[in-house]
Parts: sequence; structure tokens; C-alpha cells
Amino acid sequence: MEIITDIDDPQPLFAQLIAQIKQAVLAGQVSPGDPLPSIRQLANDLELNSKTVAKAYRLLERDSIVQTRGYRGTFVHPDALANSTVDLTAWVVGKLSETIAAFRESGVTDSEIRIAFGNVMNDRRSGA
Amino acid sequence: MLDWTDYLFYLVFLSQVFVLSYYFPNKLLDRMRYVLETYPPSMYPKLYPKPLEYYKMGQWGFKWVTRCILVLGFVILYAVIFLVDHATFADDGYISEFWPALYGVIQFAPLMVLEFSEFSQFKLMRKANTATTRTAPLRRRRLSDFVSPMLVAIAVLLYIMFILFDLYVHDFVFDWGHDTLQRVAVITVTNLLVGGVGAWQLYGRKQNPHQGLDDRNKQIAAALTSILYVSMAMSIFFMTQVADDVIDMNFLDATLISLYFQVVAFLSLGTNLRSLKLENIDFDVYKNGTAAT
Repeated sequence: MEIITDIDDPQPLFAQLIAQIKQAVLAGQVSPGDPLPSIRQLANDLELNSKTVAKAYRLLERDSIVQTRGYRGTFVHPDALANSTVDLTAWVVGKLSETIAAFRESGVTDSEIRIAFGNVMNDRRSGA
Repeated sequence: MLDWTDYLFYLVFLSQVFVLSYYFPNKLLDRMRYVLETYPPSMYPKLYPKPLEYYKMGQWGFKWVTRCILVLGFVILYAVIFLVDHATFADDGYISEFWPALYGVIQFAPLMVLEFSEFSQFKLMRKANTATTRTAPLRRRRLSDFVSPMLVAIAVLLYIMFILFDLYVHDFVFDWGHDTLQRVAVITVTNLLVGGVGAWQLYGRKQNPHQGLDDRNKQIAAALTSILYVSMAMSIFFMTQVADDVIDMNFLDATLISLYFQVVAFLSLGTNLRSLKLENIDFDVYKNGTAAT
């Protein structure tokens, strides 16, 4: 199984890595418990910044697709197959679409929604 | 008066001259010639980031430098046999190890230059590489994928055996200024250096941007195997140096060091040439229109 990255692809490099590792899990090309290349190895092989690979691994770890076992490295998570089918991005888009639709129904304008969204994301209003 | 040890040295030194300045350079020149003729720039442009004349010039330069060193070897041998007064040149009156050691370093110089020129060649290849895609195996590279764990264990064991042997022979005296400490420091630093080169081969950046996965794996395996062989040879050589202190073997010092250079050449260069046969390398990756890996 080989990972292919394309710098001309509009999808960010870390997202290309995440998508292909998920595909590898779903296709059975890597199994739970299999060791994955180290961040440095993958970054060197793909001529990427190691922070890009680290970001991809961090997000995959958050989604329980990979697990890091200290100095022993990164491995495919035991529940990776089930978790690879979960698409958090699609879930976020769905939730936001529902919320925005509700705002629009209440008469809130798009620019007001954008400003409010920006404020919440920038932590100015919500205090979160 | 000449005795059998002198004749033995002449024979071994002659072999050093032949092996390092004729046999291996000729093997390398044959490979260069084969690549230039079989994979010409017109069909394999990615293999030649510089004009063809540059490579022909390099080939010519390498050939004549090694030929000059070959002649120098015969000159040194003539001087050692007929001109040098060994009784005054060395304290013990035997043929000094200075001759094969100095000549060995000179012999290895063009081989090292060739190795370093390969790095600049790969750098130019990377610079010229316009492909936007990169590929990598989704598999962790481990030492045991490339070399037998037994070989690693033997190399480590020989290193430990050398240290214990040296300490035993010198009554476990291990202080500053003592030969034991110097020898242990030299072998440890050298092992760390070659170990670093091995780690770099295993985890470091791919130098040749067009090299396929199989070829890269073969190259890593060859490099790691030769590193382990050299480490083992070094431990054994140092053990002979220690043995020198117990059983008076000064008369063999020059012969042993000459032999050591040849063994190192066979284990490093020989292993690489044997493992990386040109007919097994995929040169199609250097054709135009082939995506870089």
C-alpha cells in the first residue's frame, strides 16, 4: 500500500493523508494493530513538513483510527475499521446546514450569520 | 635480511594495489560505461541532470586518477623493498604499517569522491524534478526488514567482545592516556558514525527522487549489510591489535593493515556491487513522462 500526495490537488496535504489512510483501513490494506510509518519517515518519503504528517496523525488519533503507543510508534487502532466510516467533516457540515437553515427561517441575514460565526470562532462573544 | 614475513607483506600489499586501484575501479568503470551505453540521455533524460560530456569527463578523470594511484602503489612497493631502511624507519625494525595505511587512504580517496559526487547528482535530480506527486509506503521501515537480526547480534557481540578482550589483556586498566581507552573510543565513535549513516539510510530523506520502492529497499539492505560487515571487520582488526600486545606480532602489523583495507573494500564496495546489479535496477523511471515516486 502506497500513499500518494499531490501538491496540485486542491485538498490540503494533511487531508490527503487522512483520506488515504482511512481508505487503506476500509480496503483492508492495513489491519488493526499494524505499525504505521513514523512521522519522520513519512515526512521524509513524501518530502513534507513533519508538522503536516503530525497533524494528520493527530486528527486520525482523535477519530480513533490510529493510536500512538509512546516510543513504540503509531499503530492502526483496534476499532479503526468502524471509525473510518465516520466522517466528522460531513457531520459538521450537516449540523451547520441545519442551524443556518433555522437562522434564515427566523429572518437572520447571511452577513449577520457570518459575523456571528466569525465572532464565535474567534472566541469574542461566546466566552467559550 | 629478508624473511618470510617480508615476502608475505609484499604479496599482500601487491594484492592491496591490485584490489583497490585496479579491480574495484575497473568494476565501477564497467558499470558507468554500461549505464551510458544502455541508458542514453536521449531515452533516459531524468538520469542525466548535466550534459553527457560532464559524465564522460568524470569517467575519464576517475580512470586516470585510479591508474596513477596504481602506479604509485608499485612505486611504494619498490621503495619498501629496495630503498627504505626499515631498521631506522621504524622502532622495531619491521616494515612500518605507515606504508599500507597511507596508500590505503590514497586509494580510498577517489572512491569517496565518487560517492560524494553521487549526492550532488541526486541533488540536481531533485531540483530538476517537476512532478507534483510523491509516493511513500504505508509501512514502517525496520532494521529487521533489511538485515538479519543474527547479523546485527554478531556485530554487537564482536564489539562487546573486543572491549572485554582489550580490558582482560590490559588487566582492566581503563584510564586516560591508556591504549585501551583510545581504542574503545575510536571503535565506539566509528560505530556510532556508521550507525548514524545506517539510520539515515533507513529513515532519512530519499536521495534519488525517481527511485522506485523496490530499488530503494534493495539499496537500504545493501548499505546496512555492508555497514554491519565493516563494523564486524573493525572489531576483529582491533582485536588483532590488542593481541599484538600479548604475543609479539609487530612483524605482522603492516600485513594486517593492508589486509584490513582489502577486507573493508570487499565488505563495503563488494557487497554493494554484488547486491545492486544493474540488470535488476528499474531504469524506466528515468524516462520522460514517468511520474516520480
